[in-house]
Amino acid sequence: MSNKTSLLKVILLGDGGVGKSSIMNRYVTNKFDAHLFHTIGVEFLNKDLEVDGHQVTLQIWDTAGQERFRSLRTPFYRGSDCCLLTFSVDDNQSFLNLGNWKKEFIYYADVKEPEKFPFVVLGNKLDVSERQVSAEEARQWCQENGDHPYYETSAKDATNVAVAFEEAVRRVLAMDERADHLIPTDTVKLHRKPRSATTCCS
Amino acid sequence: IWTMAELLPPESRGCNLFFLYDGSKVKGEGDPTSKGICYFYPEETPIEKQELLCGQLAGVGRCISELSSSPVRLLTLRRHKFAIHMKEEFFWALGSSMETPTVSVCELLNKIINLFCFYNGSVRQSYQLHSQETLAARWSQYLSYLLAGPSELHHVFSSLTTIDSTNVDPLLLLKAALILQACQRCPLVLAGCILFRGRVVSTQMSPDVTMKIMAHESETFKAQSPTGPNPSSLFGDAVSSTSVFLTMFELHYLQSAPVDRESWYRKQNTFQLKDSSLHHSLSRTPSDTVSSESVPSDPPSSQKGTLSPRSSASDNSDFSRVPSQSATEPVCPAPNKDASLEAEDKVQQSSTDDTFHSSGGDRSDSEHNATSHLSGEDGGACCGTVFDSGDKEHCNEEPHNGKLEGSNTGGGGTYATPIDPDETPLVPMTLYLHRVKGLVLALLVEPHFLCDQAAMEEVYHSCLASLNGLEAHLRSISPGAPGTAGPYIFAHFDCAQSTLTTNLSGRPGGAPERPFVRAASLLHSHFCNTETLQEAIIRNATTAVYGVRSAAQETYFLQYGVTLRNSGIPNHQDSAFSLPSKARHRLLKHGVNLL
Repeated sequence: MSNKTSLLKVILLGDGGVGKSSIMNRYVTNKFDAHLFHTIGVEFLNKDLEVDGHQVTLQIWDTAGQERFRSLRTPFYRGSDCCLLTFSVDDNQSFLNLGNWKKEFIYYADVKEPEKFPFVVLGNKLDVSERQVSAEEARQWCQENGDHPYYETSAKDATNVAVAFEEAVRRVLAMDERADHLIPTDTVKLHRKPRSATTCCS
Repeated sequence: IWTMAELLPPESRGCNLFFLYDGSKVKGEGDPTSKGICYFYPEETPIEKQELLCGQLAGVGRCISELSSSPVRLLTLRRHKFAIHMKEEFFWALGSSMETPTVSVCELLNKIINLFCFYNGSVRQSYQLHSQETLAARWSQYLSYLLAGPSELHHVFSSLTTIDSTNVDPLLLLKAALILQACQRCPLVLAGCILFRGRVVSTQMSPDVTMKIMAHESETFKAQSPTGPNPSSLFGDAVSSTSVFLTMFELHYLQSAPVDRESWYRKQNTFQLKDSSLHHSLSRTPSDTVSSESVPSDPPSSQKGTLSPRSSASDNSDFSRVPSQSATEPVCPAPNKDASLEAEDKVQQSSTDDTFHSSGGDRSDSEHNATSHLSGEDGGACCGTVFDSGDKEHCNEEPHNGKLEGSNTGGGGTYATPIDPDETPLVPMTLYLHRVKGLVLALLVEPHFLCDQAAMEEVYHSCLASLNGLEAHLRSISPGAPGTAGPYIFAHFDCAQSTLTTNLSGRPGGAPERPFVRAASLLHSHFCNTETLQEAIIRNATTAVYGVRSAAQETYFLQYGVTLRNSGIPNHQDSAFSLPSKARHRLLKHGVNLL
């Protein structure tokens, strides 16, 4: 386990008005503002945390959900380590659009192996009494679309927000560890190269 | 005896000489002229030359103003002209070649003086507080900032440098404007602007004030400027602050509703235009008034702290009181009060202070001390102990205020009814800066904003994510194709916002552009001097430049590659006459509408 602090970029995607900015603000500043304006383009905040002994700086990118802001937000998908697909449990359409958001992300972030990329799904506005999307439906979608972890959150009363971000971090760290195992083979290759080079020259 | 012309630097273009001369230092027969020279630019000028110029110009200026009983604004020699400003015993001169429009020189001199007063307060008191060397360094900073600028055209029009809006998604400008509005939800925040790499992205302030704030971001300034105490280590290096001084006019402009502002500023601007000698704008020099009532009751040596507060002591306390009131209201009210309200305010004072302070539960002990320390006084500012160590100027203000309050009870009236800018004092304010790499959020805030931790955190956190995002957006914008030399040159000046749009490359000494810049500055001069002039064509054998202006804008246009048919007498086939229609068509795609 390394003591180095690593910077992880996670990005919140989802329809306009599902509460992406509120989730970010709740997590980083522990505040909730019911009268936030539409996000224009992208915004981000950093938060330091420790997950399973790893020091991590989480860079949380909040994006504009409205279609008209599309060209402003998509250039910032690249380099993301994790994507939080967000919908609102009181808005069925936002749930139905999850697939589109996933596609948009994979396309613009230029993800090499989409089936391995860590997505986390958030059903926000748990505090609202009239649900349009049941937890079962949401879980089923997650299962069928790559077995993504699913959290029901409320930015308003802080339910599950921190848990969801920590899970995102765990997924990324797990990915990295898998990648770490691959490193030895790569190093072997690097060692080989100079050798072959010398044979070439001699 | 040297003639004036011999004394002047041969370099022809632009402003090349500036000095501040204090006549009060040279009274007796034996007093050397050099004693009165507070600052002289270029600094390497031999002292004999400095003395001669200062002595002669100040002498001529004084003589003429006494003969004519009106202040001198301009002295013109054969090859040089000097914008002049006289106040009390101070005499400022800014010299330039004849080629520079008079309006531009006079405006520039104003700007230099105003910039000094913005960061230092009254000139007289600054010279009592600080050494001549310290202040010389500051004059030099202000000069180098104002004489730099991206292009000669920017000098001619004294325009702000803005980001290239043709390259930027308008939604990002909206984003910037919304960030500023969000900050204003805190009642202690007056107004702000957002700058990116030294250019304006969005501003809520008049061009004048914006320009002064931008000076703070210039490189020379950053290196040497005296910055105030770091408001809070909570925010690290990202946040800094410095104290500034606003004229009452500026303050009123900031406090008026945005709708009124535009018309107000226009009025101000057209007034300037009408007035060919720029009396009005010159009269806005803030130093003017302050020295007129320069605290005779407080000898400078008595107490260091009492020197810093400016003459507007009674007004100070009015302002300080406003936020403690509005803290109980969700929306920032226009904090204008007239004299009749003042008594009521005083009654409420103690109770509002209490609610204000108890609202923040996690206050430190020192702040509680500050509250109690102030409770006996009328000052209302809570800075008392918090900044004792860092900012002496601030803290010792209160007793001073209290003392003057009684003697100045009529002051509330002048505060409520502006505005002869010449007669209004300077109001201390704080410039709060939040930096995210190349992006700067600059806010004018009430001085005690820095003591209100809750308010500061609120403002900081409410805009941090958006500033991060805006910075990322602006950084990712690639600069547009530079200087695509089209078949025409244009320059469009927006008088209300003081912004310039042009397709000039801005390269120094671009040879084909010289005639255009000269023609534009000449036409600009004429437009300023002749109120009824709306359109003009200026030409030589090879080029013709068309200029058109309205109350809100000035536009200049030059078309290349047209063979001028010019027989010397008016001729309907003269190609110059097609310039107006060409300009209309060509400039539409630059967003300039001349129809």
